[in-house]
Amino acid sequence: MIEILDVSLPIIGFVLFSLLTIPVVNAIRKRKNKMAVLVLGWFSTVFITAAVTVANLAIKYYEQMSSQPFINISLAGEPFTIFSSIFMIDAVSIYMAVIFIIVGAVTFLYSIFYINLRERPSERYYSVMLIIIGCIIGAAFSGDLLTLFIFWEASAAGSSFLMVYQKTSRSLHATLKYLVMIIIASAFIVYGLSIVYGITGTLNFWAVKQALIALEDRHLLLIAFIFIASGYAIEAAVVPFHMWLPDAYTAAPASSSAFLSALIDQGSYYVLLRVFIYILTPPTVLEWTVMLAFFSALTMIVGNLLALAQNNVKRLIANVCIADVGYNLVAITSVTPLGIMGNLYFFLIGGITTALSFMTVGILNRRGFETLDDFSGIGRRMPFTSLALLLGAFSFAGVPPLAGFIAKYLVFTAAIEANLSWLAVIGVLTSVIQAAYLLRLINYMYAKIPHEETKIQEPKKLLAPIFILVAAIIVLGIYPTIILNLIEPIIHQLPFIP
Amino acid sequence: MQNTLLLTLLLPTLAVPAVYLTGKKSTKAAAILVALIALADIALFSTTVPIVLDPAAEYKYVESYYWIPVLGSSFTLFVDGISLSMAIITLILIFIGALFSVDYMQEKKGLAEYYALLTLLSIGLVGVFITRNLMLFYFCWELMLVPTYFIIGGWGYEEPYRAAFKFFIFTHAGAVFVLLGIGAIFMVTGNLDMFEAQKALITAQPDLVRWILLSLTVGFAVKMAVVPVHMWLPDAHSEAPAPMSALLSGVIIGAGAYAILRVSLGTVFPAIMATDLGNQFLHGLAVFGVISAFFGSLIALVENDIKRVIAYSSIAHMGYVLFGLSLFPFQEAMAGTVLHLVNHAVSKGLLFLSAGAVMRQLGIRDIREMGGLAGQMPVTATSSTTSALSIGGVPPFACFISEFLIFVGAFQTINNDNFYLLPTALMLVATVLSLAYALRYIRHIFLGPKKLEEAKEVPFYMKSAMIILVVLVIVLGIWPTFFLHLITTVSFV
Repeated sequence: MIEILDVSLPIIGFVLFSLLTIPVVNAIRKRKNKMAVLVLGWFSTVFITAAVTVANLAIKYYEQMSSQPFINISLAGEPFTIFSSIFMIDAVSIYMAVIFIIVGAVTFLYSIFYINLRERPSERYYSVMLIIIGCIIGAAFSGDLLTLFIFWEASAAGSSFLMVYQKTSRSLHATLKYLVMIIIASAFIVYGLSIVYGITGTLNFWAVKQALIALEDRHLLLIAFIFIASGYAIEAAVVPFHMWLPDAYTAAPASSSAFLSALIDQGSYYVLLRVFIYILTPPTVLEWTVMLAFFSALTMIVGNLLALAQNNVKRLIANVCIADVGYNLVAITSVTPLGIMGNLYFFLIGGITTALSFMTVGILNRRGFETLDDFSGIGRRMPFTSLALLLGAFSFAGVPPLAGFIAKYLVFTAAIEANLSWLAVIGVLTSVIQAAYLLRLINYMYAKIPHEETKIQEPKKLLAPIFILVAAIIVLGIYPTIILNLIEPIIHQLPFIP
Repeated sequence: MQNTLLLTLLLPTLAVPAVYLTGKKSTKAAAILVALIALADIALFSTTVPIVLDPAAEYKYVESYYWIPVLGSSFTLFVDGISLSMAIITLILIFIGALFSVDYMQEKKGLAEYYALLTLLSIGLVGVFITRNLMLFYFCWELMLVPTYFIIGGWGYEEPYRAAFKFFIFTHAGAVFVLLGIGAIFMVTGNLDMFEAQKALITAQPDLVRWILLSLTVGFAVKMAVVPVHMWLPDAHSEAPAPMSALLSGVIIGAGAYAILRVSLGTVFPAIMATDLGNQFLHGLAVFGVISAFFGSLIALVENDIKRVIAYSSIAHMGYVLFGLSLFPFQEAMAGTVLHLVNHAVSKGLLFLSAGAVMRQLGIRDIREMGGLAGQMPVTATSSTTSALSIGGVPPFACFISEFLIFVGAFQTINNDNFYLLPTALMLVATVLSLAYALRYIRHIFLGPKKLEEAKEVPFYMKSAMIILVVLVIVLGIWPTFFLHLITTVSFV
């Protein structure tokens, strides 16, 4: 039986460790000679503990999944459940928690080496990162709209600290933009939620859904939907609300961009998925598929065209993130088991690939290479870094045997299944555009003559997490069954949604 | 053996790092290693020949492994006569290409990468021909792309990355349409096995099947360089290094034709064969075939760049193949078409290699500046002449017999369908054109007065690579029985 403690332990653990991190890192700093070992030791303790708690939860869940696929756990006892926060555990949330921990750990490893430990606020940087992972796992496990809102906003707001870390005027500007956007977004969401609460009298996922199905007059629901949907769309950077993303990710240090794109971005799609498919299920509650299909087409086209016009490589990758939002929306729009499967696979692969690209670009940016022209001939000067970026780019473009291909295949097939073939056609055509600009990047890296011939020393420590991710995209590309078998129970759960 | 086919793919996969490391020390050793791997693969394939030729065995030779059950995909490899012939010819060209590269690429840099990429390419190329699962097929299909891109770009002539970029984008754009088609097949049938899907598609809506067929065929046609989606071919073929051109023209575009035969016609087409749509589709193939044949031949007649002449002739020959495919499912025509793929691969491979030899020795590529090389480069001249005459359809060289079979099939079809009267007549005219550009090519380069005094014969490895192919072209012309035997074991009726 799953207790409240099992669910909250990973969240509490991360928050606790995050508070402890500040004094611990400060203490470690005093022992100059063993710093790296001690820091690695401390953070591996953190992540191993967290992994154990999540694994514990996963094992307990899978033991009794067949009898009870959805488990609701309330913080308060029977008469007060309506006021209390509720956790919900199902295969999706377990899966999300697992990938958040794994991808979080790898990106964290990168940031340990990327952010200078001796610098003063770096301990806070790590501590915020941990707290964000905790909150986002909380968002994955939340079972009512308010809990979801609180955890999700905590992680979204927390990310602003990661963006502003370098305190340049550019990053301050971008972070301000981001903060304004998410404050507007959360205001929208709160407003929408209050309407939902007004018409249903509850915020629990199941209860809201039941109440909404029974609802006669749906005008108010439509207004609530518009607020909620646009609120979450702003946070997921759906076109036309995407303006904050390229600025924020370009101005942030590479480790933050990698972390944010791998966790916060994927988390935002997850929230969209939860709210749209599990609560506002079309056609029983609300018919929103056509609208979302339109926005996903727009996001794919605009994201890819913007990326096509970029000269700054980091900004180019940031625009690829926007295009990825579009591909994720295609799957959400399809509302088919296959689409959900594609989504969940895409959460992992998209996160890994963007993180990987930001990490490599971070290494190159450190050497002063920013624009496409700076990247000329980098393939010969820094072979390993370039190889990683090359594989990341091909995975984005959906070239098998890299993992991005399977993700795209699932997404487009789901669109065909949902009778949205036009969306699938737009999807494949935009992915040809994607292949074109990524190939242009590769062209610069390998075909152009470098400005200088000298080889550049490659940072081995930073390459280690990068090559973990590279190995992941290759292995998951050739043998996706590892993940797909994990996701498959979810397909069977989908029709049971009451 | 139980795992022969898996081994044929695993062997080059495992060899990639070995080739790379060998190449770091000695490039010649790496080339020999690539050639040996290709030979070993041929040996592995030849063990399946008796099974394929055995008329009693119903399902020929199949191996299946656990892969992605959720997506209806298993790692299913198989060979029948057609795929076996294509795989063997691919490996022969890889073998020859590696031998040829020893001397041809000698002065280039980064050859360890080159040979590693060549090995990587062979996995995709062989894989395309021996897989039965559409997902795996697509994996191999796209696996051809990346190594080809880097080989053209890294070791080509003039502005190689531009040509490579064009090649990549065109064929990738084609491939995504293939992907759409595969996705739709999965949606309709829930199974991605070519033969299972064929049965399941029979009951599907003809309207949907039509779109699947169209999407797949357009995608494959891009790879096959059918006019009007041929634009990548002249650049890619002429900028690529000669061994790569030989592979591109010999088997990569041949893979497009094979895919149309196997997937478009073999898997999807039977579902609408009996309807009007089916006939219209076949007629469409015939029309595009005729257009490609004329377009390619006419441009080859006036082109002056040594490799572009051959490149356009490839477009023309893919026109013949497409015309042959439009005669589906008649036995003679299909046998002729597949045999033409084999013969064309050998002949065109030889023609490209000899053109590469001429370019390497002279450093120029305009055929008007050449002349009288026959005396100075006898081996190159012989191989060019043999292959050009074969391309022109002159007996006893290889391509004659297969073109002849295609026409036999065409005449039989005319009995049933009057539509084919005009295309067949036009195709006959096109063969005359192909002989014309073949003769023009030889006359300009090898005959006439000597224009370049310093030209010398090519070194040993290039010479021997070409001689092997010359022998093959003649043998296949006189004695096509082996491949014909293999191919005719497959029946589409």
